[in-house]
Amino acid sequence: MLPLRSVCGGIWRAAVHTVRTSRGAPPYRLLSSTCDGAPAALADADTIFALSSGHGRCGVAVVRVSGPASATALRCMAGFTQRLPPPRTALLRSITDPRSTEVLDRGLVLWFPAPRSFSGEDSVEFHIHGGPAVITAVLQALGSVPGLRPAEAGEFTRRAFQAGKLGLTEVEGLGDLIHAETEAQRRQALRQMSGELGRLYQDWSDRLKRCLAHVEAFIDFSEDELIEDGVLNRVDVSVRDLQAEIERHLKDERRGERLRGGVQVVIAGATNAGKSSLLNKLCQRPAAIVSPIAGTTRDVVETALDLGGFPVLLSDTAGLRDSSDLVEREGVRRALERVEQADLTLVVVDSAHLPSEVDRAAAFLREHLSSVLPDTGRCLLVLNKADLLPEKQRQKLDMELRGVSGLPAVCLISCQTNEGLKDFLTVLHSSVKTLCGDPLFGAPTLTQARHRAHLQRCAAALAQYQRYRDTDLALAAEGVRVAVTSLGRITGRVGAEEILDIIFKDFCIGK
Amino acid sequence: MGCSSTKPHLAHVGHLAGHQYDVIVVGGGHAGTEAAAAAARVGAETLLITQKIHTIGALSCNPSLGGVGKGQLVKEVDALDGLCGRAGDWAGIHFSILNRRKGPAVWGPRAQLDRQRYRDFIQSELLSTPRLTVLEGSVEELLVTEPNPEEPGHHRVTGIRLANGSHAISARSVVLTTGTFLSGSLFVGQTTSPGGRIGDAPSSPGLSHTLRERLGLRTGRLRTGTPPRIVKDSVDLSLAKLHLPDSHPTPFSFLNTHTHCKPEEQLPCYLTFTTPGVERVVRESLQLNCHIQQDTKGPRYCPSIESRVLRFPGRSHQVWLEPEGVTSDLLYPQGLSMTMPPDIQLRLIREIPPMRRAEIHTPGYGVQYDFVCPTQLSPALQVKSTQGLFLAGQINGTTGYEEAAAQGLWAGANAARWALSMPTVTLSRTESYIGVLIDDLVSRGVTEPYRMFTSRAEFRTSLRPDNADLRLTPKGFEEVGCVSSVRYQESLRVRNSLQDALTALQALFLSTSSWKKKLPSVPISETKSTLLTGLDLLQYNDVTFEMLASAFPESLSSYMEFAQRLKIEAVYKPHCDLNKKEIERIQREENMSLPQDIDYFSLPVSLSDEVREILDRVRPSTLGAATRLEGITPAAVVNLLNYVRVTEKKKETHRNQRHQEAQRDEELCANSASLPQ
Repeated sequence: MLPLRSVCGGIWRAAVHTVRTSRGAPPYRLLSSTCDGAPAALADADTIFALSSGHGRCGVAVVRVSGPASATALRCMAGFTQRLPPPRTALLRSITDPRSTEVLDRGLVLWFPAPRSFSGEDSVEFHIHGGPAVITAVLQALGSVPGLRPAEAGEFTRRAFQAGKLGLTEVEGLGDLIHAETEAQRRQALRQMSGELGRLYQDWSDRLKRCLAHVEAFIDFSEDELIEDGVLNRVDVSVRDLQAEIERHLKDERRGERLRGGVQVVIAGATNAGKSSLLNKLCQRPAAIVSPIAGTTRDVVETALDLGGFPVLLSDTAGLRDSSDLVEREGVRRALERVEQADLTLVVVDSAHLPSEVDRAAAFLREHLSSVLPDTGRCLLVLNKADLLPEKQRQKLDMELRGVSGLPAVCLISCQTNEGLKDFLTVLHSSVKTLCGDPLFGAPTLTQARHRAHLQRCAAALAQYQRYRDTDLALAAEGVRVAVTSLGRITGRVGAEEILDIIFKDFCIGK
Repeated sequence: MGCSSTKPHLAHVGHLAGHQYDVIVVGGGHAGTEAAAAAARVGAETLLITQKIHTIGALSCNPSLGGVGKGQLVKEVDALDGLCGRAGDWAGIHFSILNRRKGPAVWGPRAQLDRQRYRDFIQSELLSTPRLTVLEGSVEELLVTEPNPEEPGHHRVTGIRLANGSHAISARSVVLTTGTFLSGSLFVGQTTSPGGRIGDAPSSPGLSHTLRERLGLRTGRLRTGTPPRIVKDSVDLSLAKLHLPDSHPTPFSFLNTHTHCKPEEQLPCYLTFTTPGVERVVRESLQLNCHIQQDTKGPRYCPSIESRVLRFPGRSHQVWLEPEGVTSDLLYPQGLSMTMPPDIQLRLIREIPPMRRAEIHTPGYGVQYDFVCPTQLSPALQVKSTQGLFLAGQINGTTGYEEAAAQGLWAGANAARWALSMPTVTLSRTESYIGVLIDDLVSRGVTEPYRMFTSRAEFRTSLRPDNADLRLTPKGFEEVGCVSSVRYQESLRVRNSLQDALTALQALFLSTSSWKKKLPSVPISETKSTLLTGLDLLQYNDVTFEMLASAFPESLSSYMEFAQRLKIEAVYKPHCDLNKKEIERIQREENMSLPQDIDYFSLPVSLSDEVREILDRVRPSTLGAATRLEGITPAAVVNLLNYVRVTEKKKETHRNQRHQEAQRDEELCANSASLPQ
């Protein structure tokens, strides 16, 4: 009679039963809300999408969609109104934005009905042109399809695992994979959060937390306590303002910070190792001031490079040393911050400081690395000023430092004589190439799409507050709670204790 | 509901020598009485030991029950057939639903109580509970022995030894509910004396010693306080603001349709405020006030008047004057908990206009007491290291009657199940406030006395006071065994009726114009051409179930008794549906249990030292609890998960092997038996 309405769903017991039966469900769905920077996996019934091809200069980009609403995405973006295309067959279609019906690109679409797909679920692939504008437009269009959201770290893989599409060795590597992907996302988030956009999100998050704390205080304490109605009126104003600001931000695409694309390569090391000389060599112009005086570079110098077809954002940083100079200290802080956000760090060492014995040199370098890098981030060791070493020692180092355990790739160069630079460029190029092959590295469009999805949810939840404000404060508060959680997926999780802390700081509650 | 006197099951120490109980409950407060009653309901031979039988069920502090968040706990304890809801309905003298205008999910059923009636009800219930015996005495120590090697744990409890006479009484499990009595000390002014409540000695130092030294449990110290009791006749109530109860009292219990107290017999409360004089007295007497100078953690939300005026100076603070009972000639000044010397207490209260000439009957005082860090407990409230030992109430770092009652019930039911060799049971934070309370305690621990707030419940819109019976009564009967079949049958009747009514509402499927004809007074927008069901209509602010029932009497009038519940179900349904996915995810995680004896430091999976340290310290019981810990990364969760899955597989293979071996042995035995001798 009413096929789409479940009759007993409103009763609690019914809900509990469905849960019990899923006891044996496989467990990787559980990767949940624990990682601070990385957003939590939402429930599995969602349909997810992501850019699956590499980043950088490429002719074709592949965007994958997986989950029950995949067919919907195909219908409303590739114009299949009547029936779906034959499975696993490439068709050339116009890809349109479902909201404006504007044509975004012409490309191939493929339909993989479950279970014969990578993830075992209904899936769709869009093969589109590789330009960032096209990719961004398609990702944003997908985000506007009901039931679709950007994939979280490792989510495609987890779903494939769930469907039994991965072998045992792949399953064992899952933890490491997720670690790597969340790390990549964390670095992405850090980059953005340290900028103007980050300050904006953080400000919203702080204001929202305060709104929630005040509504919760009004619910939990107002009857017996001195929490005046004025508190709620101030929340009304804040919620209205926040909703308007977030909606304005979502509408105005140019607003906010332009996200920095490309692989982030950071040059770091002790003072006077020749970091700025390396930067100048790499960009083939005197972008940074070089001098024999230690501590010449005090701020981060940034240059965009095209390295054999791959976009690279190269940063030179202040030399790391303890300094009493306030400006230099700030420079060192910024340098360390940049290293934390880097996809690849070039650790530059003055060869003349190396002990002459190879064993001791390796130990020296290991210790030096641990002082520069926060953990085992990707890096290359660049031993500069090789021209200052005696020929014999140079050869010995060059031969024997390769493949020493616990050390990354080592390149012996001289910025003065250009010795070893060519080999170094080959090593650097192949590292950057590897990084670009992974769609998670340096792909701001992905993060952008994720942020949009969370911000849209946040704004919608704030509208729920307004809707229920006068009739049911519990449901109104639920709206603020969802808003805080959505924004928290960008800025970090917010727990009940944190809200209670704000309550007790702002109100005198006592009975 | 009744409070008739029945034949008491009182025991004398002499009769008990060599007696074996299933469960011994130590303490007769809110946790202890619920624990003892729940254990007996589950089917255990239970002994309740308390220092003084006549203080069983005493309200040591405020004469009230329920409130926002706490009311939810009372409803849930009642849904599991506990005592406090029915006791509140019997003893209540001023009922009100707090937050009435803020939505049914956060309604806070609350009542002022008559202390004497409450105590009478609890005592009479306990003394007429089958399988439950009450003994007056003080416990000197726990009897502890080697653990059962089949189960995790380093010790096993075998009973208790009484203080005088050194009688040992054995039991398979013991529930400790020592409240503020564990190494308790009382503070008034500069005087400190041992005690758990004014007029009562603390529990035996031997008990603290066993917990700390013998069992190696980490303990901490917390404090709380209570206000002076005021002589009612000495207060000029005309200077305070009158506060009336609800004109139709709502009972706490799902079994009661009305309260013992008639609506018109309810007593009022009075509201008054502090003056600058109060702040002056506090400041002048600080050096005479030991308790306030201590740095032991007190509750932030129930601070003494001293901390209130010191933290928020220059303000006027609320003081509620509450009746203590129908025949009592005392008033309870809520908000005036204080620990200064009695003569200064008198000076302070006389700074408040209605109490200009007030007399103090009993001065306020502070209490400091030991608690056991609750992360050492399992979600069944069993001490992880000690088989058969359960803790409930303030000993776990909580505050409040309702929090104590909720834990008591759950610990008592589990202690009984343990004693009767049944698996222990847990409540999820997705299905109840009791689950939220226990999960917060055992997985996060406490830094100050823990009190329930609705803001602690993630699924507040689903965990409402109105549906506690649907959420818990069937589980309490089918899985726990702590619910009577009478209550169970009633909850099934309610559940089926509600489901039928919702089906009937959905079957009313009309166009907007037909609805407009049926309900002319309701503003239904006709812009939508869609059809609407009765359930959709019931979500409208101005539509009540009564209106729908009078429009469609043939299909709806038989459900009139559930009018309010149906309205709430309809309004909350879309929000509960949204909660459902997240709830399912959490419940899946909670179904993955982590072994309690796991050595996280040598676990052969990729985990950082930091994560290992956290896991070792907290020892989460399930993967769900592990994911909620600070500092646990998604990668760590996956690695743990793979480990658990692999180990479970191995265990299963091992079990199968053992089973096969056992079969082989049996066959061998059978063969050898059949051999000719």
